[in-house]
Amino acid sequence: MNYHWNWGIYLEKIKGGEETYLSWLITGLQWTVAVSLCSWIIALVLGFLVGTLRTMPRRGVARLCNAYVELFRNIPLLVQMFLWFFVMPELLPRNLSLWVKQEMPAKEFVTATICLGLFTSARIAEQVRAGIQSLPRGQSYAGLAMGFTLPQTYRYVLLPMAIRIIIPPLTSEFMNVFKNSSVAFAIGVLELTFQARQMQEDSEQGIETYLAVTLLYFVCAFVTNRAMSWIEKRTRVPGLISTAK
Amino acid sequence: MLSQFDFSVFKPSLTFLWTGFLFSGNLTLIAMTGGIVFGTLLAMGRLSSLRPLAVIASAYVNLMRSIPLVMVILWFFLVIPLITGKPIGAERSAIITFTAFEAAYYSEIMRAGIQSVSRGQAMAGYALGMTYWQNMGLVVLPQAFRNMLPILLTQTIILFQDTSLVYAIGAKDLLKAAEIAGKNYNRPMEMYIFVAVIYFVLCFALSTIVKRLHKKIAVVQ
Amino acid sequence: MAMIEIRDVCKWYGGFQVLTGCSSKVEKGEVVVVCGPSGSGKSTLIKCVNGLEPFQKGEILVNGTPVGDPETNLPKLRSGVGMVFQHFELFPHMTVIGNLTVGQVKVLGRKKEEALEKGHALLERVGLTDFAQKHPGQLSGGQQQRVAIARALAMDPICMLFDEPTSALDPEMIGEVLAVMQDLAREGMTMMVVTHEMGFARNVAHRVIFMDHGQIVEDTTKQEFFGTPRSERAQLFLSRILHH
Repeated sequence: MNYHWNWGIYLEKIKGGEETYLSWLITGLQWTVAVSLCSWIIALVLGFLVGTLRTMPRRGVARLCNAYVELFRNIPLLVQMFLWFFVMPELLPRNLSLWVKQEMPAKEFVTATICLGLFTSARIAEQVRAGIQSLPRGQSYAGLAMGFTLPQTYRYVLLPMAIRIIIPPLTSEFMNVFKNSSVAFAIGVLELTFQARQMQEDSEQGIETYLAVTLLYFVCAFVTNRAMSWIEKRTRVPGLISTAK
Repeated sequence: MLSQFDFSVFKPSLTFLWTGFLFSGNLTLIAMTGGIVFGTLLAMGRLSSLRPLAVIASAYVNLMRSIPLVMVILWFFLVIPLITGKPIGAERSAIITFTAFEAAYYSEIMRAGIQSVSRGQAMAGYALGMTYWQNMGLVVLPQAFRNMLPILLTQTIILFQDTSLVYAIGAKDLLKAAEIAGKNYNRPMEMYIFVAVIYFVLCFALSTIVKRLHKKIAVVQ
Repeated sequence: MAMIEIRDVCKWYGGFQVLTGCSSKVEKGEVVVVCGPSGSGKSTLIKCVNGLEPFQKGEILVNGTPVGDPETNLPKLRSGVGMVFQHFELFPHMTVIGNLTVGQVKVLGRKKEEALEKGHALLERVGLTDFAQKHPGQLSGGQQQRVAIARALAMDPICMLFDEPTSALDPEMIGEVLAVMQDLAREGMTMMVVTHEMGFARNVAHRVIFMDHGQIVEDTTKQEFFGTPRSERAQLFLSRILHH
């Protein structure tokens, strides 16, 4: 293999600048974490909302939520990114459109976060729906029989159990968010994948670059997994097998 | 607002988009076939009683599933020329990458499929005097495949969407073709919307078909 | 030389011992019934005879061939030993006739026509001639088990192993399966049968083996077993099972 190894590349300065490659990688990590966490929060809020609504007895509401999920599930994430970045500003009223295109701070970050947040929310909605529907019918009957209104039944009876049941699929969804954040490179977010391409071109030490970036993604996945595992242990219901590891 | 859009650019760019679409479609089909074959072997490896084989297969699957697809694409595009000593086109690299990557996901599906076939079935095959490979080929895998067919197809739809990520290495798929056409006619937005619609219609139609298929299979069982 | 010889077989699942010092013989043409309470190891023992379950100590010889020997060609040995399972285990994705021919063609290397002829003949023998093209899912439990017996017979086995063949059947179907097994015994097939059906044991068996907690507690002729079994455990078991 005709390759010149240079493990010290991380501490070297970039061509035509004062920063080290390591600082590029750190910046990338920061943006990856920022995009992922913010998207995750948006996704959780919207996902639970839509998923819960999906299980309500009203037909029209269920159909709307279905359409929401289908819309985000059938278009590739990268295409959605481009739509949000290039097309969405044009659809806004003139003044807002100009502001978004020219003056909005961290335009790329905001766009990527909204895009990834909505994309993930559709997947979370499906998991929430499945979780609620996996509960025995008797649970909601018991709640209503006690005098709870429907929203109260959801709040005190159904959702607490549903959330615990779906912690495993939510964990892998959370890890997916970190992986999917890599798509944001295409609209110029300075996250890990963007830095990987930039550093590989600049330093010509592709293998060292990619190894470091891959390792950093592993670290994110590991920390996420551990965090969700901790949450799962803290919220475990004694005597219930479904939450066993 | 919508009046600024000029959708008349579709007609002249259609042949160009078609070439890109063909690449995306081909890539999907090749990666699906290769991925399922390789993935089934990986699944059998993971479930095998030979420890080193199980460990290697496990490690491969877990590795592929932990890294973003874009990174895997970049990795293969970098490393293949280093190994072969010759440069490789983005399209060829994409085919190898996607087959290797999707195999990990198909392997998890086939693993669940193999485990869904009751142990007694395998025992019955062995009791007749079948070897391991005969048993797998005649008894276990046909049933595993049938059980998991809807999930395998769903994964293929996801694969089709994932092919858009070859953008990272500049391969000419549907999305790249749309971007180029958009620049040529100075109508990037119309192109992106058009491609989004194509993807949506195709994937929605396919997933509806898969849902119907799922119902049919469930009834027979 | 006995058809099946079991010498001092011991088996552990991890740290738990499931078979302890089991020894017995089945001569050619003999019908031996293995009975005992749940968890006594009888299913495990019979699965050791054709090597479906490994064992850590002792020896098992089938027609002189050692089952536990790594040099032994297990698939070849198994193709000569017929096995019938509690849950029938017909291959659901093949037709009935497909189930009967797959072993003949793929394992024994017979020609398709020969296999089909034999398959149809066996179907007639178990009384299911019209079911050749059906799928297992379309048959009742009793019918499926009779096809399973035919599938094992299609391989021209030198002996047959039955692992609780009627335990998963509705009561009204048990009779039709036992009838086929009785016919087999009358024709001189060497059979080792794990079962709770004491009626079958009384009518057809030559010997009865009683197992408890992984050990062979009684191994006597049928007359002795039903007359005056020597161990308390066997007596307790018999009294429970016969007073249904």
